[in-house]
Amino acid sequence: MTEPSGVDPDEGCALVARSAADYLARSDPLARARRWRDRTPGYDREAWRELASLGWPALLIPEADGGLGLGLDSMVAVVRAGAAASLPEPLTEVLAAAQALVHAPTSATRTGLLSRIVAGECIVALAVQDEAGPIDLQRIGTVAVSAGQGAWRVTGRKRFVAGGVGADGYVVHAHADHQPVLFWVPADCPGLEVLAHAQADGRFMADLVFADLVLPPDHLLASGEPALAAAWAAIDTALIGSAAELLGLSQRALDLTLDYLRTRTQFDRPIGAFQALQHRAVDLYIHQRIGESVMRQLLDALRHDPSAELRTRGASRVKARAARSARQITREAIQLHGAIGFTDDCEVGMHVRRALVLGAWLGSELEHRRRYARLAPPIVD
Amino acid sequence: MSPPSPPTIDAPADWEALPLEDFRLRVRTWIEAWCPDEVRYPAGRLRWAQSREWWSRLYRRGWIAPGWPREHGGMGLSPIRQIVMLEELERHGCGRMPDQGITQVGPILLRYGTEAQRSEYLPKTLSGEAIWCQGYSEPNAGSDLASLQTSARLQGDRFVVDGSKIWTTLAMDATHMYLLARTSRGARKQQGISFLLVDMSTPGITVRPIRNIAGDEEFCQVFFDSVEIPRGNLVGRIDEGWSIAKSLLGFERLGIGSPRRPRQAFARLEQVARARGLFGDPAFLDRYTELRMDLEDLSAAYEEFVDQVRRGEPLGADVSLLKIWGTELMQRISELALLAAEDHAALAGEVALEGSSVNVLAPFYSSRPGTIYGGSNEIQRNILATTVLGLPR
Ligand SMILES: Cc1cc2nc3c(=O)[nH]c(=O)nc-3n(C[C@H](O)[C@H](O)[C@H](O)COP(=O)(O)OP(=O)(O)OC[C@H]3O[C@@H](n4cnc5c(N)ncnc54)[C@H](O)[C@@H]3O)c2cc1C
Repeated sequence: MTEPSGVDPDEGCALVARSAADYLARSDPLARARRWRDRTPGYDREAWRELASLGWPALLIPEADGGLGLGLDSMVAVVRAGAAASLPEPLTEVLAAAQALVHAPTSATRTGLLSRIVAGECIVALAVQDEAGPIDLQRIGTVAVSAGQGAWRVTGRKRFVAGGVGADGYVVHAHADHQPVLFWVPADCPGLEVLAHAQADGRFMADLVFADLVLPPDHLLASGEPALAAAWAAIDTALIGSAAELLGLSQRALDLTLDYLRTRTQFDRPIGAFQALQHRAVDLYIHQRIGESVMRQLLDALRHDPSAELRTRGASRVKARAARSARQITREAIQLHGAIGFTDDCEVGMHVRRALVLGAWLGSELEHRRRYARLAPPIVD
Repeated sequence: MSPPSPPTIDAPADWEALPLEDFRLRVRTWIEAWCPDEVRYPAGRLRWAQSREWWSRLYRRGWIAPGWPREHGGMGLSPIRQIVMLEELERHGCGRMPDQGITQVGPILLRYGTEAQRSEYLPKTLSGEAIWCQGYSEPNAGSDLASLQTSARLQGDRFVVDGSKIWTTLAMDATHMYLLARTSRGARKQQGISFLLVDMSTPGITVRPIRNIAGDEEFCQVFFDSVEIPRGNLVGRIDEGWSIAKSLLGFERLGIGSPRRPRQAFARLEQVARARGLFGDPAFLDRYTELRMDLEDLSAAYEEFVDQVRRGEPLGADVSLLKIWGTELMQRISELALLAAEDHAALAGEVALEGSSVNVLAPFYSSRPGTIYGGSNEIQRNILATTVLGLPR
């Protein structure tokens, strides 16, 4: 991962977290999320520019490329707080896709894109999946062949591109000359069709269809091993980011539930006085705390050992855990609220629906447990 | 153009006289021939506009009220044949219609109503001219229903009703409501509650639909502002409505605890798993088979209670176990369907899954209320702990 150069990382992280809390408290992202629900792109482009002025898309971009050069801690702090506030803008999605660029070899395209991302002028999404199920970058789905003079002709289809509707362009995984490659595909490229699919949370995922799309030579970002490394850095960032979002929304759902248990009265007492419900609340609290511990341990470990191996294994572990905890907490939040928890007006529903999306995006908890089982060392030697 | 009219000539004088399997076959054949596609496998509750045609075909066939006595326009079926009928409707994927008039109001009027009430309401209820909604819950009276505050003051020959009801399913489609209102304050809060019938077009009633978590408007809040109800719409004795409302609970819990709804969710799980090619995955197969056996074992328990009904014995408080097991099983099934759908589980509405089209979220959403309504599962556990296990209160 990118090591910060100038500011002390802890200090930088604390600063960012404070400004995030500030911004979220004054800008009512929940109302914005409701306003933009079910209409494309699902978020507010104006608000995105404001997030950029706070430096959010630049968090993980090295200072040399014009970014803040902060570590994953700061990303986790910000997206976690954003999710708790139901922030609809595709922050995790962009932070992750930008990581593919950060890890790509130096080029004019890379430099130009990173500076536009920092400026909030470019929303970029990651397109690495050909179909549902485990992500397999060796699989040949989307194919590029030479179109003469160094240009590429791309055919195929990418699926489940979160943040892909309304994006300015895509980092696309493909195969060329029997090698995995990453391309930059601008959204307005002739031959690109963007199909919008409504997500459970009222935002959108895109399918990208490439029909003889022709890309100039400089749109090839990376090929071979460096392309794989860049793609996995982006995917792991997305997984850690979505785990952070899940932890943020489940904490919020838990807080809402505890408030409700304290205030809702039935049988002449607050329902939180019933021991059956107290035990349930405690179980949810334990789920939340375990999730937080896993995230904290991963962030600490990555600070000492920023290797791809540790990152990949840790990303699966924390995604599986956060998805599991958020599943338990959001479902129980409905139950403990009674009928009101089943209404659209109740904030709980926002978190239930978001958890459905994050739980499935880039692999369910089931898939990440499988991946963890393959990657983790034996627990006893 | 009038819709095709289902034949009625094969109606035997007595459905009970047919051997059970013949009966099942007759029902099945007829449903397959006449059930309109639009009521099959709906994503949520069927609205009245969608149900109207199916309702009227069943009505013209004489099949709209399987459990009502024949002299009142029902089929006069024994409980076991009513269950067969439900099973066949489920087998065909028929969605639930706004049937509370048939399942609740009819039986209540037959048991507690006056002659005048029966002749006024039963025929309308059968024909679908009267569609009923249930006005029990209030904003501050959910699990603690007996604390309800909507008041009905007797003034001469009418009650004047003020207050509000909430979570009233499909109140916007209903022409009538059966409700509980407070007519006096007794020593116990269960005393002083009366059971009333009201025409929804009475001045002073406002219905406000409430959007649910799946984005649908199915339940409502209903406001009463000095609504005048004729005294003749009181069912049973004044102040004694609580026992009327409670009298149907056992049968209702048997209904909510039937394997019917989890089985529909299971069909969806199977469809998703097949499309995703998951049956070769031993870990998936284990979880799938566990749920499948949980479902079959629910049927075993359910049939014991059905046998009790068949023998004419009253259901005990232990019937709550079915409701708990069945509703929570349906939630577990819908959760596995989400996992099985992998990335598709992030998407709303119908999604294309290798050739078939599935709404993966529909069973998830529709499995949530079962643990909340009909007496929440927490309340059912309280009942089992104290009444059945005899643990101290
Ligand atoms: C989809 C749907 C449709 C409905 N349709 C109708 C309808 O048509 N007509 C109608 O009248 N009502 C209807 N209801 C309302 C339903 O009956 C109530 O939701 C139910 O009685 C629970 O009440 P509540 O929602 O106020 O929750 P509350 O009673 O406030 O309960 C909140 C939580 O506290 C728990 N709790 C409460 N008391 C205790 C206790 N003593 N011990 C342990 N836990 C406890 C509950 O189990 C729940 O988890 C519907 C509800 C839903 C969700």
